[in-house]
Amino acid sequence: MIGSTTLPPSGTGAVRRFLREYGHEILVALAIFALLVGVGLYNPRFVSARNLTTIFSGNAYIAVAAIGMTMVIVIREIDLSVGALIGVLATISGTLAVSGAPIWVAWTVPIVAGAAINAISGILVAYARIPSIVVTLGMMAILQGGLITATGGTWISNLPPEYLLAKMTVFGLPMPLVWAIVLTILAGLWMRLSPFGRSLYLIGGNAEAARAVGIEVPRRIVAVFMIHGAFAGLATLLFATQLQVIQSTTPPNLELIVITSAVIGGVSILGGTGTVFGSSLAAVLFATIGSALIFVNVSAYWLRAFIGTLILLTVMADMLRRKRTMKGA
Amino acid sequence: MTIAQTPPPAGGPALSVRDISKSFGPVKALKTASLDLMPGEVHALMGENGAGKSTLVKILAGMHAPSGGAILVDGVQTALPSPRRAAEAGIAVVHQELLLFGELTVAENVFAGHYPRKGGMVDWAFMRRRAQELLADLDCHDLDVDRKLGSLSVAMRQRVEIARALNHNARVLILDEPTAALGERDADRLLEIVLRLRARGVAILYVSHRMNEIFRISDRMSVLRDGTYIATRNARETTEGALISLMVGRPVDQMFPKTEVPIGGPVLEVRGLSCGPMVREASFTLHKGEILGIAGLVGSGRTELAHVLFGVTPAQSGTIHLHGQEIRIASPRAARDAGIAYVPEDRGAQGLVKPLPIRENISMAVLDRISPAGLINRAKEAAVAKRGFDMLGVRASGPEQIAGQLSGGNQQKVVIAKWLQTNPWVLILDEPTRGIDVGAKAEIHRLICELAGQGLAILMISSELPEVLAMSDRVMVIAEGRIRATLPREDATPEAVGHAMTARRSAS
Amino acid sequence: MLKRHGHETVLAGLVVIALVVMSFQSAQFLTTGNMLNQGRLMAEVALVALAMTFVIVSGGIDLSVGSTMGLCAILTGVLWQNMGLPLGVVLAIIPLIGLICGLFNGFLIIRVGMPPLIATLGTLALYRGLAEGISQARSVRGYPEWFAAIGQGSILGLPTQIWILGIALIVAGVILGLTRWGRTVQAIGYSEPAAHFAGLPVNGAKYAVYAVSGLAASLAAILFVSRVSTTRSDMGTGLELDVITAVVLGGTSIFGGRGTIIGTALGLILVQVLKNGLSLAGVRGDGTLVLIGVVLVLTLVAGAFMENRVRR
Repeated sequence: MIGSTTLPPSGTGAVRRFLREYGHEILVALAIFALLVGVGLYNPRFVSARNLTTIFSGNAYIAVAAIGMTMVIVIREIDLSVGALIGVLATISGTLAVSGAPIWVAWTVPIVAGAAINAISGILVAYARIPSIVVTLGMMAILQGGLITATGGTWISNLPPEYLLAKMTVFGLPMPLVWAIVLTILAGLWMRLSPFGRSLYLIGGNAEAARAVGIEVPRRIVAVFMIHGAFAGLATLLFATQLQVIQSTTPPNLELIVITSAVIGGVSILGGTGTVFGSSLAAVLFATIGSALIFVNVSAYWLRAFIGTLILLTVMADMLRRKRTMKGA
Repeated sequence: MTIAQTPPPAGGPALSVRDISKSFGPVKALKTASLDLMPGEVHALMGENGAGKSTLVKILAGMHAPSGGAILVDGVQTALPSPRRAAEAGIAVVHQELLLFGELTVAENVFAGHYPRKGGMVDWAFMRRRAQELLADLDCHDLDVDRKLGSLSVAMRQRVEIARALNHNARVLILDEPTAALGERDADRLLEIVLRLRARGVAILYVSHRMNEIFRISDRMSVLRDGTYIATRNARETTEGALISLMVGRPVDQMFPKTEVPIGGPVLEVRGLSCGPMVREASFTLHKGEILGIAGLVGSGRTELAHVLFGVTPAQSGTIHLHGQEIRIASPRAARDAGIAYVPEDRGAQGLVKPLPIRENISMAVLDRISPAGLINRAKEAAVAKRGFDMLGVRASGPEQIAGQLSGGNQQKVVIAKWLQTNPWVLILDEPTRGIDVGAKAEIHRLICELAGQGLAILMISSELPEVLAMSDRVMVIAEGRIRATLPREDATPEAVGHAMTARRSAS
Repeated sequence: MLKRHGHETVLAGLVVIALVVMSFQSAQFLTTGNMLNQGRLMAEVALVALAMTFVIVSGGIDLSVGSTMGLCAILTGVLWQNMGLPLGVVLAIIPLIGLICGLFNGFLIIRVGMPPLIATLGTLALYRGLAEGISQARSVRGYPEWFAAIGQGSILGLPTQIWILGIALIVAGVILGLTRWGRTVQAIGYSEPAAHFAGLPVNGAKYAVYAVSGLAASLAAILFVSRVSTTRSDMGTGLELDVITAVVLGGTSIFGGRGTIIGTALGLILVQVLKNGLSLAGVRGDGTLVLIGVVLVLTLVAGAFMENRVRR
């Protein structure tokens, strides 16, 4: 048996701890950087201010949605309905905006509604003990079908200019980017430093042990689904206010992109590990890859095949890593 | 924050259990259990498998609600509806299956669920420092608290769990079979820790099977049998033999009705069998009509050896001969076809498909024989099920009853019946009487002897030393994946076997 | 009988009630023409659902069926029109493609050890992505007359699909209910280790189950392409939802073990009756999506309560 004989790597304790804790996140950040440099050299227009804004700001909403998804996956659940939910919330918000409701109402209602709708999924998962993937598959159908039935597929146009949050800037930076950064940092610190945040890692790591240390697991599951719904609401605000119109369809594949971001960001599908920093960075990496494909002349139709391959490879790598950790015992 | 700064009221017990009972559906796991735990004492809780020890431990941990009775902490009646309340009441439990978080750091594991806070936020710096202190207290000065727990050895993980208990300022510490998976040196270190905690006034309830360590550290011992409290003895005033007869509840020869059977020629010859770190160079011969007992600690490689022989994890090297013919066993299916049967350790998960009726369970291993061209012949299946059902005297409403509704002993009979339908040469029994009440145990023992009498070669793995010693013609001792000793019945004393089980290999 | 097949009995009752209610709603509903046509329309979902019953009974799930169907549909068009293979040869290759898709799922689940949900969620994206990448959003039309006969023709007055479905239903029912293979799949679903320790061929059975699921999706693709005489890369989108709903509605436990083919058949009929009835009553197509979602969730909730009661 090996006791504790592994030699710590050199370097000061704090730096070493940081590297160990956030190794994966650093790797993702480096990958983004490498991609920007690599493809930028091949085609300088890739790193033009305009394209960078499209990549970073245009996809900020995915990073925000990935924050909530991270929490859901950390507790070892999943949500396939997030894309449909964002579609529904966008229509709700847009309808409010054009109906003359105060702008703050149009901005707040999606957040509350997201939490409320996801509470249903959370309750079914936590108390009826139905696997979350099936519950949210059903929710996806209900939300998608409901959206198109209710709107008849019409678009919402004539959005008031003061509603278009995503078009605003703070200190010259696009609002979505600022939001994504601020929300990621806040949520990341919260998951690292609050007892509630830590309890999510306990639940995902070993639900029985979490119960044994006194955590009320079902209630936390519902809470996490609701928080995730609120983040979907926040993501909606950034997504729906990008253009002058809101299409009343759900963004295709959005749930896959959000889940993949979390998984590539180092959130283990087997629960209990990963940070929102990783997920948000991976969302950016993902957007960068998507854009890079275009700049190196690969058809965008291959994007989904690419997503699928990435999901499978990342999950495989995660399973291998876990096997190795356990063998170290 | 040292342990037990204020000693509890002198004289009174730190924890009293009064007539606690617990039923799971129709099954009474605990009938009337009572005991007093004094501050500064090590109190051993003893009993055979299925006596109700684990149920009692889980009730005290706040994981099960008792069906009746009362629990008194420092003389005050206290309800323990949740693990949190148990912790608040000063009761800490180190479970047999450690309840830890492999993907989190050592420091966080110590504090899981009870984080130190500064301004409402988790105080990581304090947590790391304090974890280091607590572990240093347990002789783990060298442990890096930032390591992931999953990468530690079992002994280290256990100390992390004890550190967690100490951090809660526990006045009652319950250890459920803490040495079951430890080698001698790690077990010794653990016992030292237990004694040190006792000196600080912690009341310790110590559940274990190992007689020698119980006599080494306990002040008193209480015995449970069939869910009922039997007696409490002072360590100085009792003997091992007296305790065993309290645990077993009947004369030993009645519990283990060993019949002498003429032992025939070799059936199974194993030479140099290896598979991973847990099965190394195993060589032995099993004869017709022989019961070869395997003794060893949890994690010694005894179950792994059975899994290699049964093809669950096929051998990487070595040979197996059956009746002089070399055979290769690549899967349980191949083992079955060769004539090897295995009654697994975990009856509920591996032995039975609980939601299915007895009939389908009994016919499961011979499905291809009774289904020509794939279609199951219902008449043949019913016949097979009836034969197995009657032969073993399964007590149930009939072969159509759902297997999961049966008692442990009857479930085990169904598993054995399933395997007898394959007409095996070799029967491997892994913990054949785990979780079975005393009466049914004797019945299973009688059955094993009968089967040996019919010429079956039997390999019997058991954690219960009395069982191995009383039932076996020879005893094979396994430690750290190797066969350490093979003792004939006459030489297989508890001391000899116990020593071989825990002896440390020379080059560690 | 009633005790062991309570769910199926209740379901059969529901089907009858739904038929009666719907026939009052619309005069066209209870006509032979409509009934036969509904049989034709449900064929693709039904074929895949029969295979999915085995997957779910074994304790797994296959989310990639819709994408497999899309990929097979696209390849039918591409192999025939773009690569110039005779359509007859293509029809022999497509089932192989489906089989390979299914075996790859099996590989990820059995060899790599991924949870079935995640493995097939990944291949859901992968197979659909391959379909999109290969097709580049081009559709293929102009299939020959004889090919259309499969999906649009009739034999002895009944639509081709009804015959295919009938045969598939009987074969699946016999295998699951009466053979040792069916028993093996069921035992795996209830307790995989126990099945393994009883010497049952666990890995073989699991590979077979996923392979058949892929195969069924490819056959569904052929039926679908033949019926609508065109191929597009988005074919079969959301198929997994319809299929899983029908299977779960049919009483198959999402946790594995329990399930019957009769149940799945009744589940399929009930969903189809509701869909058809709603559309005749003037509800648009997406309303039925909501209905399916609601039915799926409610069935799961009911199932979970039943399961809890049994466990206690």
